[in-house]
Parts: sequence; structure tokens; C-alpha cells
Amino acid sequence: MLRQGLILTSQREYAHAMRAGLIEILGDSQSRVDVELDALRAMQLVPQQYDLILLDMMLDAMDGLQLLLMMKQQASSTKFIIVSDTPDETSRAMAYQNGADFFLERPRSAEGLKAALEAIKGLLKRHFDSQPLRMEDEGPLIRIADVVQTHCLSGDSVLLGVRSKQQSGDIFIYRGEVYHAQYPGKGGEGAFRDMMQWDAGQVRVKALPLTRVPARTIEIPYVHLLANLEQPGPLEGDMRPPTGELLAVSGQVPSEDTVPSVVLEAPPLKEDKPKPVSSGALFPSEITNAGETPLPSVNAHWKINLMGELIEGSQVAEPERCAFITYFIYRKMADVAVALEVDYFNNLTLVGPHLQQVLVADNMGVRHAVFDTAWSKEENRIQYVKWCCEQSF
Amino acid sequence: MNKAFEQIALIPGLIAAAFVSNEGKPGAWCANSVISPESLSFVAETCRVILSANRAEQRPAHTGIAAFGNRTLVFRESEAGLFVAYLDSPVNEAVLDWLWAQVKPHFESEGIKWE
Repeated sequence: MLRQGLILTSQREYAHAMRAGLIEILGDSQSRVDVELDALRAMQLVPQQYDLILLDMMLDAMDGLQLLLMMKQQASSTKFIIVSDTPDETSRAMAYQNGADFFLERPRSAEGLKAALEAIKGLLKRHFDSQPLRMEDEGPLIRIADVVQTHCLSGDSVLLGVRSKQQSGDIFIYRGEVYHAQYPGKGGEGAFRDMMQWDAGQVRVKALPLTRVPARTIEIPYVHLLANLEQPGPLEGDMRPPTGELLAVSGQVPSEDTVPSVVLEAPPLKEDKPKPVSSGALFPSEITNAGETPLPSVNAHWKINLMGELIEGSQVAEPERCAFITYFIYRKMADVAVALEVDYFNNLTLVGPHLQQVLVADNMGVRHAVFDTAWSKEENRIQYVKWCCEQSF
Repeated sequence: MNKAFEQIALIPGLIAAAFVSNEGKPGAWCANSVISPESLSFVAETCRVILSANRAEQRPAHTGIAAFGNRTLVFRESEAGLFVAYLDSPVNEAVLDWLWAQVKPHFESEGIKWE
């Protein structure tokens, strides 16, 4: 029987029909099928938790085959089905080459859906016959907040797979801080708060080693996150006073009695942090060194996540434009990779008369550095690539 | 141009190469693998777009080196068009210099100069 499935598609109607069919034909009372309509958010999901993933060949913002390739590398035992609107031999061959277990033409009628479900049933039956579900996979019910606190206190880097009766999601803890949380349809601090409330906080949790660091979406220290769980209602970042001062109604002097403790506990916003010395730079956060290799001298450098958002940088004069051009090149290089039938590019060097640029990609983002052609040497660029690799994890 | 690419195809480690004009017209190509000329044209056109976007950002570039694992895509723009070479190895500056030394004479025999 299907334990946990995921449908990645941009077609809501099809997703709901397929979800209902999967649960009816392949599931039982314990089965759950998630639907994710946002391809970029899907990239943050942990595919290992799913028995089955149905993935559209063409997603709105992404090539489904590239996503398949990435997910298959992480979850080799998960069954992947590529769903295509325009099945042809080339697409079929590429899907299987990228790790699909089955290629499915999108069903367009009730009969077609039934036939598709029967085919999926056969695929899963073979899979489960060879890999029976172990009872210990379920695990005991435990208090999720305690698990988070334990790992944070220990300074761990772990991925917590959280499973309630109705939903499942992931909490990423990196070096003792909650970095990111996500479940299908929601991500960030809101997702973390929701997950803490699932089944009154008593859920099944599976801890896995963190193999990649996601883009940070939660910047509040874990002690505040967990403490604020006791407060009624969520604390949204933009509800905090912009200067870190206490909120007060005009003409009144705030007192500790009238100000909610949640405001008192809120950490200072980014605007309160001292800005690093730079030449007029505006950037979300300062880049720190997480490896042994020193950062070579660069004119500027920055990093975007896979949604094209600038997440850190130094000497970045026009953050939005820098993020845009990096994302643009990244997308174009992804197209090139598809045409050459290879994985994503590792790095790209662009040589110009005055400037040289180096882009280094991993599965969480792209780093981009600008060097001066006149004085930069090959060693500098190699050192930058090495430095980037060390920052990745 | 086809004669030039007959010779370029003999360069050791070269999987495929192509040349497209600045108008985007495919000039010539060669491949010792199952890479179609359409794919090569698409790759070349995409590389040209990347270089063009960098010009627009006031960071003009004429050469690109993209690493895909152990394979490398090299592209270089001239006034006549864009040359792309797909190699079955990583490259460094010495390898690049060697590659241009191999390629240049064939293009020069076709009247195309690289600077």
C-alpha cells in the first residue's frame, strides 16, 4: 500500500483527481498524498520521505526532468513517474535517462485516470513486494518542540522529517539553529509554527543527516521561536517595530506591562545590525567564511538562491540587478545542460576585456564573483571556486 | 566552413563544435557523439544571449568556459559569430590556449579572425 505520495504539477484539477484516485485505489487510512503546485518550493522538499512522486514533465518555472534528476540523486528508492502532455519517444527516453521509473501520458478522462492508476498500482506492487514496509519506519509519537530543542542545544545539523496524521513536512536545523521549515503549500516561519501545532505537537519525527543547507528562511533564534510558540497568534516579522523600539500608541509612554512579551523578546531586525564596511553596498547579509580556503580578492561577489533572490553579498552596488543577471545566466545554463543532456553546470567563467566573472552553482543557489581582468589570475578564480565549494557545506 | 570543421572535429577530446553567425544562422558544425545540430545551434544561441546580457549589464565578455562535471563547454565570440566547443575534459588556461591555437588557423583560412 502507498504510505506517502507526492504530486508535483502546475495543474490543480488534475492534481486533485489524481490524489483522490491514488488514495482510493492504492491507499488505506494511513496513506497520505501531498500536492505541491509550486516547482521552486518543491525543490526544497525532501524526496526520501515519499514512496511515490508524480512529476510533470513541464512545470511552470522549471524543467521537470531537471528536477527529477536532482530528486532521484537524493532518493534512489522512491518511485518517480513523469507525467507528460505530449508524449513522444524523445521525451520518454529523456525521462528514463534522468531516472524515471515510469512514463505516463496525462490522463484526460475518467477511463484514462483509471488505467493510469492501475499501471501505477502494478509499479508500486512490484516495489513493495521487494521492499516491505517496516513497522519501525513509523516511529513513536513524540513532542516535536522537544526534538527541535534537543538538536538545537546540541548544535546539530539535521533534517527532521515530521509526520502528523494528516500532513508531513521538514524542518532544517543547521548548526543548532532552525534554518528553514516547509510542508507542501507553505514554507518559512509560518510553516514551522504550523508544524509545531500539528496533532497538538505530538507527531512522528525522523532525523536524517543534513546533506545540504537550504536557503535560510527563518532568522529568529530557536530559543525565541520555541518561546513564542506559547504566545497566542503568530508573530510575523513585519509586525515587529522597524527600529527594534517598543511599539507605542501616539502620546502614550510604553510600559512593560502593556507591551506583549513577544515584542520584548523579538530579536533586532537586520536594520539594527552594524553594516560591514563596503563601498555603498546594499545587501541582505554579510558573507562569512565557513571553510579553510580564504576568499580571494574580488571586486564584488554575491549569492542567490534558486528562486533568484539575493541572499548574501559583498560590494554589491545594485543588488536587484546583480541577482537578476545571475539568475538569468543560471536559467540559461540550465537550458544548455538540458540540450547537452548533462547535469547542471558546476561553474562558469566569463572572460571580458576588463572584467572576469565566475559563477559557481550547487543545488541550493549560485555564487557570482567579479574579478578585475588586469590583475586577476587563474589561481584567483580556482581559489574562488574552491572557496564556494567549502561554503556549500 | 565545412572543411574547417572537418579539421576541427579531429581535435583530441572534442565532442562537438559549432559556429553560428551573429544573425543566429548556423554556419557549420561537427560532433562525434549523438548531439544533433539543432541542439548545438540552441546551445550556441543561448551562449550568445548570455554574452549579450552581460554586455547590457556593462560587464562585456567575449569568452565563456562552463564546467559540467568533467566536461566543458567553451564559447567564444568574434565579429563574425560565435564558436562553441564541447570538450570531454576539464580545461585550464593552458588547455584553452592550446585549443585556440588549434582552431584559429582553420577559421582564418575562412577569413574569420579571432581577437
